[in-house]
Amino acid sequence: MQIEFKVNGKEHTMHIQSTMRLVDLLREELGLTGTKEGCGAGECGSCTVLMNGKAVNSCLVLAPQINGQEIITIEALEQDGQLDKLQESFIHNSAVQCGYCTPGMLMSAKALLMRNPNPTEEEIKTSIAGNLCRCTGYNKIVTAIKEAAES
Amino acid sequence: MNQDLQYVGHTFPIHDAPQKVRGDLKYLSDMKLPNMLYAKLLLSPIAHGLIKRMDTSKAEALSGVIGVFTHLNTSGKTYSRYRIVPDQELCFEDERLLTDKVRFVGDRVAAVVATSKETAKEAISLILVEYEELPVLSTPEQALQDQNTKIHPEGNLLHEYVLKLGEQVPLPKDCVVVETSTSTQKVHHAAMETHVCLADFDSSGKLTLWAACQGVFGVRTIVADLLELSYNKVRVIKVPMGGSFGGKQETILEPITAFLAKAVRQPVKLALTREETMIATMTRPATTSKIKTTVTKQGILAEFRVDTVLDAGAYATSSIDSTYAMSKKICKLYRIPYYEHSGKTVYTNTPVAGGARGWGAPEIMTALEIHMDAVAKRLGMDLVEFRLKNLVHPYDLDKASQISLGNACVIECLEKGTATFGWSERYNREPDQGRFRRGVGLACAAHKNGMYGGFSEHSTMTMKMNEDGSFTLNTGLHELGCGTITSITQIAAEVLEIDLDKITVMEADTEYGPYDFGSYGSRVTYICGACAYEVAKRLKERLLEWAAHSLQKPKETLVGKNGRVWVVGNEQQSISYRDIATTAKIKGNIDLVVTHTYHGTSNPGAYAVHFAEVEVDTETGRVKVVDYLAAHDIGKAINPGMVEGQIQGGVQMGIGYALYEEIRVGGDGSILNSSLKNYHVLNAPDMPTVKTLLIEQGGDDGPYGAKSIGEIAFVPVAAAVVNAVNNALGTSLSIMPLTPEKIMATLKSRYEARGTRHE
Repeated sequence: MQIEFKVNGKEHTMHIQSTMRLVDLLREELGLTGTKEGCGAGECGSCTVLMNGKAVNSCLVLAPQINGQEIITIEALEQDGQLDKLQESFIHNSAVQCGYCTPGMLMSAKALLMRNPNPTEEEIKTSIAGNLCRCTGYNKIVTAIKEAAES
Repeated sequence: MNQDLQYVGHTFPIHDAPQKVRGDLKYLSDMKLPNMLYAKLLLSPIAHGLIKRMDTSKAEALSGVIGVFTHLNTSGKTYSRYRIVPDQELCFEDERLLTDKVRFVGDRVAAVVATSKETAKEAISLILVEYEELPVLSTPEQALQDQNTKIHPEGNLLHEYVLKLGEQVPLPKDCVVVETSTSTQKVHHAAMETHVCLADFDSSGKLTLWAACQGVFGVRTIVADLLELSYNKVRVIKVPMGGSFGGKQETILEPITAFLAKAVRQPVKLALTREETMIATMTRPATTSKIKTTVTKQGILAEFRVDTVLDAGAYATSSIDSTYAMSKKICKLYRIPYYEHSGKTVYTNTPVAGGARGWGAPEIMTALEIHMDAVAKRLGMDLVEFRLKNLVHPYDLDKASQISLGNACVIECLEKGTATFGWSERYNREPDQGRFRRGVGLACAAHKNGMYGGFSEHSTMTMKMNEDGSFTLNTGLHELGCGTITSITQIAAEVLEIDLDKITVMEADTEYGPYDFGSYGSRVTYICGACAYEVAKRLKERLLEWAAHSLQKPKETLVGKNGRVWVVGNEQQSISYRDIATTAKIKGNIDLVVTHTYHGTSNPGAYAVHFAEVEVDTETGRVKVVDYLAAHDIGKAINPGMVEGQIQGGVQMGIGYALYEEIRVGGDGSILNSSLKNYHVLNAPDMPTVKTLLIEQGGDDGPYGAKSIGEIAFVPVAAAVVNAVNNALGTSLSIMPLTPEKIMATLKSRYEARGTRHE
């Protein structure tokens, strides 16, 4: 089937199998490998992207569902050569270790700050509750998001 | 201690953070090669059985299938996935590429190589296998009891030993004897990137492996010997990886992927799903340790006896060494006149156990610190005071290795941690009576710094000064996401007195890089860091020699700073690193390059004392860790921000170990929770704020006094949390994890015994 959609501001028209997952479309068809897959079951959040501004697990979205929709991936978080304040904050707060969860974590945090620029610590933790990290223990990630919101 | 350090002791982000936040860094799972094929494994659905018949014809006939492999068309040669050097002892070669007898749910039965992932998956579903089922031994007790069912021909008891240290002497009659038994469970490492491997065998007869591993030379020795290739024809390249925690220490996917690439003469990628990673790679070993101590009335440990059974799962891998390791930890922490430890390593029809963060220390320290609480309570003694009477002191000898424990500051960790946490106030607080009960727990822990005393211990690095005055340090390091490359760069930058961005530290590559044993054994900062320090120091001597020649000044009068060499007392006279490098090459005909092999000659203890406060909901059995302090004897924190991150991550993993995480195996060997949906990894709302207290007294051979952190950070956590729960409830739970079901069952039996819910 044919679908039309926007990824990171760019229009695409593509013929796809109706069973294709969004994560595969992004990674395999568009080469956007910044979106990671950690479980394929919506449990780890590594594949989080924004769909019309909301954080979704791209392993649980089928490609036909993005017809007419807008997707933003980690590759578009940096704008005009300027890192997003969340990206800056993750770097400076040592919130990145192995980094495999980082893109998904950043996209969930981005979705939060887009709808709630002044979140409480609890709201921050809830917003990334679906993003697992095995390295950091989340403390520095929460601090980084808080600092980005405050900046 | 060194003062006025420019780079060491300061926080820097992990070196590739800018790439990681952009999604730019290519992990192994992101890599593709031209003409790359995809492999998929058929894993055994049963826990124990002989393969009687296989029909692969339908799979072979499927369009896009390049090859189908089973035990019938692969080598029957056996190997050990654990071995890191040729002829290594205690590496049982009991595993083959594809088995003719399945020994656990997840054993490798067949492999398909196809042009797409989907085709490979479909082909796997078309393979027919007929099994003759055998009795399943799902616990070590069953495996030791059932003499008729042998998982491997040699029997189910893989290894057994008794270690005796010190001498038994007559003891006062009024000594107290205390016994406890603690069980720890199989857990999933849960690195966020699953296991992946990529291999290519080219027309020159050379095999290249891109490996997300902890030791490229270990991978090479296993794969090359198995495929009967000369080591110079096997290149293993460490590539970016999404976490490991010991789960990628052993050579799991590389042998089969290399074999497949060699067989089809095209690049082959094998990427496991989460479920496959959970059941078919490795788990932390399950253990049971019974401890029996004899203590004087005054609270001095006199005799210590431990009896450990370790469940190796279906293959030996590192389990014998893990069992040994468990017996060599306790005497690093406490002064014990007579110590006896018997260990049994047992095969079962369960997922394969192997290396896991802390390597035996978390298992035995959990049992130990639960036991120490029990002893103190029996003596009616304060938990801190009892430990203080028995903890090792700086420069005590390790009873097991007879090597100095170095500047062992565990007492300081306990004393300062107790004060900072407000232990006494919290511990002596009036007990809660309502639904929610608070409790506090503490646990001490010891670990090590490298392999000296038990194994060869050296690391080699080559450092060169580039023509523009920048530096390249070639190493056998493996960045697992802990910040290794950054801390090594900081060490070299400190020595060379030049900014971090002027030094590139390369990771392991068997062909282009020097030898190193790998990233395990808490050896990286202590041993490899010392190697980086030494090689940088030697190169600096060389560049100062040329600077002295250029400036016509004695070397002793020169200092380096900000990428220049200055004449002391004469601010006008200096030479830039660029001019040194360029003129050395052109005018002096000198290549500024140094290769150095550093040999470890010490192995001090790494220490921690952790403090946890929990709140238990007596209606549901749920436990929440509400406050946490981790005190660490780290010698010197090279990168304090990353050190904190290591500790906080260790605490997250440890709380999961204490309360939630377990790979549950049914009586028939089936895996009851093979997804992250029913295997709970702590998420952000579960996690307390972890405060850290770093004791930085140096005194040992690590660079700038540094000691290890990554493994020790995890070691005391479970015991601190379990002890806190027991404090909250007045229980003596010691079978991990303390799930709500277990807690409710314990409370229920207590209510029934008392006939009331009230205390």
